[in-house]
Amino acid sequence: MNLKKALAVLLTSAMAISLTACGGAAPAAQAPAAEEAADEAAAEETEEAEEATEEAADTEAVAGDLSYTSLSLDDNKDLTASIKYIHHKTDREEDGTMANMIAEFNKEFPNITVTTEGVTDYAEDSLLRLTTGDWGDIMHIPAVDKSDLSTYFMPLDTLDNLSQELNFVSSWSYDGLCYGIPYMANAQGVLYNKAVFEKAGITELPKTPTEFLDALQKIKDNTDAIPLYTNYAAGWTMGAWDAYLGIVTNGDDTYVNQKFAHTANPFDDPGDDTGAYNLYRILYDACANGLIEDDYTTTDWEGCKGMLNRGEIGTMVLGSWAYAQMQEADSHPEDVGYMPFPMTVNGTQYVAAGGDYNYCINVNSSDENKLASLIFIKWMTEKSNWCYNEGGYTVVKDGANPDMYAAFDGCEVLSDQDAVAGEETLLNDMNAESELSFNAGGNDKVQRIVEAGATGSESFDDIMADWTAKWNDAQEELEVEVNN
Amino acid sequence: MSKTRTRRSPGEWLRSRDGQKFLVITAFMIIPLLLLFVFTYLPFGEMFTYSFYKMKYTGARKFVGFDNYKKVFTRDDCFGALKLSLYYMAGSVVQLALALYLATVLSFKVKLGGLFKGFMFFPYLINGIAIGFIFKFFYTRGFVFDTVLSWAGFNIENLPYWLKDQSINNWSLVGTSVWRYFGQNMVLFIGAIMSVDSNLYEAAMLDGATKFQQFKYIILPSIKTIVLLNVILSISGSLSAFEPPYVITDGANGTGTYFVVMHQIAHTQQKVGLASAMAIILLILIFIATIIQRLLFKYVFRNAEDEDINATTRREKKLARKRASAMKKGGMTA
Repeated sequence: MNLKKALAVLLTSAMAISLTACGGAAPAAQAPAAEEAADEAAAEETEEAEEATEEAADTEAVAGDLSYTSLSLDDNKDLTASIKYIHHKTDREEDGTMANMIAEFNKEFPNITVTTEGVTDYAEDSLLRLTTGDWGDIMHIPAVDKSDLSTYFMPLDTLDNLSQELNFVSSWSYDGLCYGIPYMANAQGVLYNKAVFEKAGITELPKTPTEFLDALQKIKDNTDAIPLYTNYAAGWTMGAWDAYLGIVTNGDDTYVNQKFAHTANPFDDPGDDTGAYNLYRILYDACANGLIEDDYTTTDWEGCKGMLNRGEIGTMVLGSWAYAQMQEADSHPEDVGYMPFPMTVNGTQYVAAGGDYNYCINVNSSDENKLASLIFIKWMTEKSNWCYNEGGYTVVKDGANPDMYAAFDGCEVLSDQDAVAGEETLLNDMNAESELSFNAGGNDKVQRIVEAGATGSESFDDIMADWTAKWNDAQEELEVEVNN
Repeated sequence: MSKTRTRRSPGEWLRSRDGQKFLVITAFMIIPLLLLFVFTYLPFGEMFTYSFYKMKYTGARKFVGFDNYKKVFTRDDCFGALKLSLYYMAGSVVQLALALYLATVLSFKVKLGGLFKGFMFFPYLINGIAIGFIFKFFYTRGFVFDTVLSWAGFNIENLPYWLKDQSINNWSLVGTSVWRYFGQNMVLFIGAIMSVDSNLYEAAMLDGATKFQQFKYIILPSIKTIVLLNVILSISGSLSAFEPPYVITDGANGTGTYFVVMHQIAHTQQKVGLASAMAIILLILIFIATIIQRLLFKYVFRNAEDEDINATTRREKKLARKRASAMKKGGMTA
């Protein structure tokens, strides 16, 4: 009996210790979830946990009197703090750009120590680190739900105040508060090689999908270059096609965040060379007509940069952030060009521009670190010139734009409007439910277009019909109101 | 627990020999048990509960009962992905046969045997991700593999696209996994073969057994535990194949195995509940596969052991017949 008892006591105490150890390590936001999971009675517990997180959210949103617009960089020159910044720009960490910027920053703020860490595979790793809570003071916001922003990050300012000084700040705002500021902004166009276009006899930049496909055909006929390099194997480069949805395809900046989720047939052919249908049709037809690389499954992202630079590739469909990398890749930076996406809606070419990754501040940092972090972010945004150097579209209102955007004269530059109140997470939910994941890592659906186009295994209309079916199923599952 | 012993107070009991033994055993076991519990059973239990919820990593969750399990069976991309495991199972048969053959050859005296062993074991030591990148270039059109084949007289025009052609790309991926793991299987086999008593070979040779008979009657029965282990490992490995398709093709172009699909559902679509259900189902499948293999092996090796007895009876019958005919002859001459 004694032996059994002692054993039982030992075992239970061991379990208890391990449980509390786990609970202690988890951040506050996770604690209700962990407790709930340990418990067997599930349904009611869930509701309680929800309420708990919501309450936490409410109190956080009111707290904090720091704000970006009221902060003066001149008043805090002698602040002493040590902050940590994790980001996704591993290339800039390695080539010393980051260190140089911080050295510049320290000339003005000598007592703020900034430690940086470039994280490879940022999209996934940062999410994991976020849930552990122990990641530093500043990060680039990963894919979290907007309703969870306040659990992790400090509000930087109200949306009204901030949008008077900066562009593209609405993408990570919730309930009128902004949680992120983009480190740079991208305009969505198409990379091309000027020398290849000249050699192929393309005198005017194509303005519609049909003209663009003609241009690709000319490149195939008149040069040795690959007309359109898909970058199929890298995956995320395929997901980049989603960025043109909305503003580019129909000139409506409210479409993606407000109307897309409610559209009954988003992938129908409008018949005038516009719309999502014709956006993806470019890719399908290019693959079907052999206007892409020979073996798309072994494309090499690092290698393609030099190939575009040298004129071995005609065009690549990627955001403007890629421009600087293409220029640096080899000896012909002057040949790398950037043009608006070839689609014209009612006589106007629209360009979608939006923030890249956003700076944000850890809500659990000390007040000192929060202040230092905000100073650092403000300095990076306004004084570091990082955005300009990366070839980014200006984040600061009326700031200078790099020369590469010359071809964008005459185009209408818009950025996506926010979702309406109460539907902030709707698009995310629709993306997850339908598994099409537009602008959210849905690479495989675009890869499928390439496979189908190149092998003829599916017709383009079948793929579009399938997407529509998935979209409609998700709308039904989430009980979304559908407009025709 | 006898009644006489319980009369001792707990303090006395702890100082006694039994108590000390108990203390030492628990003290030594508590750390490994704790680690096992915290990092294996606790997360597994959590995952099991997740599989009944509709949830993302962050945010609220909703109890949905067995819906996730139903979805796994009805969606054609989840359960259908298991078909790809057949490629990897076929590959593991080749891999084990090759490993067993080479192990048998190398366990006898071979010139430069150690060197060969080293070369063949080496791929196992390379990181799986690195192997993925190596083979990505290996299979690229006009790169390593095509070049080697063109030396052998193949015309590059007639060669398939190793990763693009959907009828062949899964075999290409299986090839990388065979290349990586057969050396490890081989080393395990060699280790087991080494433990076979060499007197047995000598005796067999005296009896006039061929090398194949030695393999069949001496080596195979002696190493059946290791064979079984390797088969179980490679079958469960082929059910959960992940690295080659994930690194080389990103699971695209018809190469998405169960694990890759699970990864996509868990991390891209963030349907954690569904992915957990997939994991539980895979676990059950691996259990079933293991049990079937155990039964099958019992059956196969029962024959192998009986063979010896049959052989003796046959031999005795033969001898009896010979003796009988000799007696007849003797009788006639007499």
